Amino acid sequence: MFEAVGLMVFYENMLALNNVSLVCGQNQIIGVFGANSAGKSTLMYTLSGIMDDIAKKERMAGGERITIRGELAYLGRNIMGDKPSVRAKAGIILCPERRRIFPESTVLENLRIASYLANKKQAEETLDYVFELFPPLTKITGRLGGFLSGGEQQMLAIGRALMAQPKLLLLDEPLLGLSPAIQYWLAKAIKEIAEQRGASIIVAEQYARPIMPIIDYGYILENGSAVIEGGRQELMDNPDVKSAYFGA
Amino acid sequence: MEIIIYGVINSVTLALMALGFTLVYGVSRLPNFAHGAFYVLAGYICWMLLNRLGLPYFLAGLIGLAVVGGVGAAMYHFILERIRGMAISEIIASYAIGLAILEGLRWGGLKGGTFILQPFVEGSVDILGVSVDYQRILVVVLGAALVGLLWLFVNQTKLGLALKGMAQDERAAMTLGIDSDKMAVVAMALGSVFAGVAALILLPMGSIVVEAGYHVLIMAVAVCIVGGLGSWTGAVLAAFVIGFAQILTVAYIGAHWQVVVALVAIIITLILRPSGIFGKQKELEERV
Repeated sequence: MFEAVGLMVFYENMLALNNVSLVCGQNQIIGVFGANSAGKSTLMYTLSGIMDDIAKKERMAGGERITIRGELAYLGRNIMGDKPSVRAKAGIILCPERRRIFPESTVLENLRIASYLANKKQAEETLDYVFELFPPLTKITGRLGGFLSGGEQQMLAIGRALMAQPKLLLLDEPLLGLSPAIQYWLAKAIKEIAEQRGASIIVAEQYARPIMPIIDYGYILENGSAVIEGGRQELMDNPDVKSAYFGA
Repeated sequence: MEIIIYGVINSVTLALMALGFTLVYGVSRLPNFAHGAFYVLAGYICWMLLNRLGLPYFLAGLIGLAVVGGVGAAMYHFILERIRGMAISEIIASYAIGLAILEGLRWGGLKGGTFILQPFVEGSVDILGVSVDYQRILVVVLGAALVGLLWLFVNQTKLGLALKGMAQDERAAMTLGIDSDKMAVVAMALGSVFAGVAALILLPMGSIVVEAGYHVLIMAVAVCIVGGLGSWTGAVLAAFVIGFAQILTVAYIGAHWQVVVALVAIIITLILRPSGIFGKQKELEERV
């Protein structure tokens, strides 16, 4: 369904992504694991097209020179160079790092803004689904986005991404700053989304422990390169992965 | 009583002048210094169509608004889009365009006295012993209606909500399929149309002069800074604060101090509360 081949991203001469290739099949959950600055967010931004926008803005402002190379095939079409809004319309929705909730809008309004790409029926149906998936949100529909706790923000961020009718959902560090209990609960919710919405999901995360059990295939990023890849069991059995992510 | 009635009228006038400016700034963080020029341009086009081509008032006004909206959108698309994110360049470029329009009109023969739009309705009425002409009452009614319409648009339509999302976090909005350049064009067109609407409502109370363009720009900037840049509620509130302050100044100090009030308001705001009355969240950022 989605395939990235030989992605390279340079910030000036610094290599942020080095020849990363990644495949995501229909209805699969793909994990991308790595420490801070391994290139996870750069990868997610590159897949969703935000990187192109950042590069454009830097170029206009005479800032850093950002170069993006490689191929992105989505549903049999090359989407490299497409604007983020075009990719979003095609179904690639990014749930960005640090959530980026609209702080001055209420929870409900955040979701309504996000239904920009949905028609009326889809918007209503998805709204019901989001509240069903994340019951805590139903109690705080009137609260401003800026006053939510980390867990509430993350639920809202994922709910918001769902409102945009994703076929390929990109989750960038969804577990960041959450307690272990909520991390596991959220990982379960992510699996449910893949099953119930028929969406393919790529999760970038540094906390591998809660995410590893729900993925079909995974990649380990290190300094911008995909150093290890494999199926769920394969990764969990890999001694390097074990020592780095499971502390065993 | 006079102070209250004329204070309200003056406040709504200021709010009308500032709405378009704050709309554009709120959505795309773009200070549109050609705002005043669009204001005058709309009035001028309307006058020309009305008096040279003999079109009916309503149609002339509508065409004037459409042209100004188009000019605003074109200005963004062809010029400002290329320098987005560089605040100083944005101000210089939009101000240069504004200057070109205003001074171009002056060169084309626009001067005070001859260019007068008729009031929509003539005559005046006594409200609680104060004589108010119908046009000024219309200003208040239309101003309130416009603010209401804007509120409905922003909170109830998809496009309006998208603009609201863009205003808060452009990148997050982009991930949801909202095209930031398209939205900025929409905001710019809408802001220009608002400048035009303000012109059509306000200009019949005086004559169309080039200086009005500069005056409107100063007032819009003052209202937006006092209200908190980009905040719509703040702008309306600030319009009332400055509006009443002006009327009080006229009544107790002297009419020629009127413009100074707006400038003093800017300075006081920048010293005491740089993010403006309604800049709560931004205030946090300032402290960090």
